Amino acid sequence: MIVIELQDATRVYKIGEMETHALRGVNLTIEDGEFTALVGPSGSGKTTALQLMGCLDRPTSGRVLLQGEDVTKLSANKRADLRRGTIGFVFQFFALIPGLSAYENIELPLLLSGANGKQRKARVAELLEAVGLSERAKHRPDQMSGGEQQRVAVARALATEPILILADEPTANLDTENGRQVMEIMLRLNEETGTTFVCATHDPRVIPFARRVVELRDGKVADDKQYEGDTR
Amino acid sequence: MFIFRLWRIAVRDLGRNRRRSALTLIAVMMGLALVITLHGFEMGAIQGSIQNNIRVQTGHVQVRGESYDEDKVSLKWEDLLEDPLALAAQAQTLAEVRAAAPVLWAGGILVTVEESVGVRVFGIDPPSEMAAPYREGLVAGEFLAPDDRGGVLIGQRLAKSLGLTVGDDVSLLINTSGEQPDEATFRIRGLYDTGIPGFDEATIFLPLAKAQAFTRVGERASAVVVLLHDQEDADTVAAALGAPGLDVMTWRDLNQLMVEGMNAAMGFLYMIYLIVLAVVAVVVANTLLMSVFERTREMGILASLGMKGRQIMAMFLMESATLGAIGVFLGVLLGSLGVYYLATEGLYLGDMSASVASADIAYGETMYAAFQWSDTAVLAVVCWIIMLLASLYPAWFATRKEPIDALRAL
Ligand SMILES: Nc1ncnc2c1ncn2[C@@H]1O[C@H](COP(=O)(O)OP(=O)(O)OP(=O)(O)O)[C@@H](O)[C@H]1O
Ligand SMILES: [Mg+2]
Repeated sequence: MIVIELQDATRVYKIGEMETHALRGVNLTIEDGEFTALVGPSGSGKTTALQLMGCLDRPTSGRVLLQGEDVTKLSANKRADLRRGTIGFVFQFFALIPGLSAYENIELPLLLSGANGKQRKARVAELLEAVGLSERAKHRPDQMSGGEQQRVAVARALATEPILILADEPTANLDTENGRQVMEIMLRLNEETGTTFVCATHDPRVIPFARRVVELRDGKVADDKQYEGDTR
Repeated sequence: MFIFRLWRIAVRDLGRNRRRSALTLIAVMMGLALVITLHGFEMGAIQGSIQNNIRVQTGHVQVRGESYDEDKVSLKWEDLLEDPLALAAQAQTLAEVRAAAPVLWAGGILVTVEESVGVRVFGIDPPSEMAAPYREGLVAGEFLAPDDRGGVLIGQRLAKSLGLTVGDDVSLLINTSGEQPDEATFRIRGLYDTGIPGFDEATIFLPLAKAQAFTRVGERASAVVVLLHDQEDADTVAAALGAPGLDVMTWRDLNQLMVEGMNAAMGFLYMIYLIVLAVVAVVVANTLLMSVFERTREMGILASLGMKGRQIMAMFLMESATLGAIGVFLGVLLGSLGVYYLATEGLYLGDMSASVASADIAYGETMYAAFQWSDTAVLAVVCWIIMLLASLYPAWFATRKEPIDALRAL
């Protein structure tokens, strides 16, 4: 089953008179359960592509299909509804809400999607366990290392059991060991839960983790390779 | 409860920016406290003046002739009470009534060698309870005797400004029921001080009998002034005393003009309230706007989690609503403390009071504040609403940014 599809998607950013063609007609189909690495040099349009797939943004032309449904023309509120519960994000910066503890950060999407207290409690405990941070539940972001914060972010992205997780350079701000740990967690969750992952990166260490590597260049898909099994 | 969760995020953020939150709190607290204190003072000044006026001038209930014109201080027989003593006696039979006595008012001019000043001549029944405030306010000489035919009592302030003292003779020109005023020389028997400069400067006393004879009104009087045990009984007593040809007024009627006058005079206070609350609003809006700028990326994150623009707006509004509520609470506390201080210690105005006072507005030399729950509650709610209104723009501003732009912010 196709989770998300970009059909001839373009995205032009306008700043005053200046136009940047971030995507120049991208066709990309992500299948259910895939772990895809989106690679390419800086400025090639990786982040832009993820934002289109994540319904955070709309293409200038072309279409975005989420589970076969055209979401291109949806309003901001409708897209927010879609994101909630369907799509999880992990960012390069450790995108936790500063005032909230690890527990509360993971709980946040569950609150937004209306889970009751009991469900939330069980789910957050499960996720903390899955990312190996049960001990850190009460810690606030500024009391955790970067690696720990990123693992909380991964747990948060998974909280509502979304079908698609979009990670934008999740390891860029982490050292080798922490980066590996985060990648391994994501891979494991991909295998265990079947959640689809798209991970934008230009970190060569990440590529071996992926089953599929899509390379963007100048806003176009330049290469698309599938790998069988674990290539590590 | 989702709204409660939003609120929790909002509250946590307040804790995160302690200094800024504290600044906002202080602004709200001080602003509201100032407004409450000023208002308490204004209310106290008005209530105090009403009580002063009741005490030295109007009493709780007055009975007058129907055609009596206060502004003209009429002495025409048909405008006066025919048999004031009978009316006073009738009033005294009522249980609510503490005292009742006739009074005769006349306009006059006090003439000394150097100058002449307009005065109000009160013909009073010296032993009556109506005269108690003047009797108790005696500061020099002696009080008037009922059968005194040549003595007056004048205010200490007036005496001082005219260079007069006890035992001096003054010439008084007093209106009569006839066409022409009469002039006679009186000896100052005593000086009084009621603590209400505006009154003391303009009022001199004669015994009722002498005043009646001088103005040639026979046994008539301008009014019967009634004092009550409880001022809330005024309407009952007024109803009991009503009769054809009579005009019965309560202290409310009698002080209405004064209250209106004072409200007008204190109108500038409302300007101050407005300015203070406007300053508070600006501080609140500014603080929240700063917070919005600082948390742009956070809003991007919340948007990526599927939070809608209006939910983000609600979160910011809750933040300032919470801060506002705490600030308002502290402001009420501090303001009440301010009112309490001014209510017990008072503010001594002395001659300043005299300079703004007139015979019509009975400011005392010391003014006391009065605390009113209802007014304080209204001010608190108004302050809180102003805070919420002031935070609408920043909160709206927070929702304006596209999620992708918010996420790119640092
Ligand atoms: N919001 C924006 N406004 C204007 N230009 C933008 C915006 N976002 C991206 N761009 C431009 O679009 C192009 C593609 O950007 P994008 O962020 O998608 O690249 P990327 O592959 O993610 O790069 P990197 O590896 O550095 O993160 C770049 O030239 C960038 O400057
Ligand atoms: Mg990028």
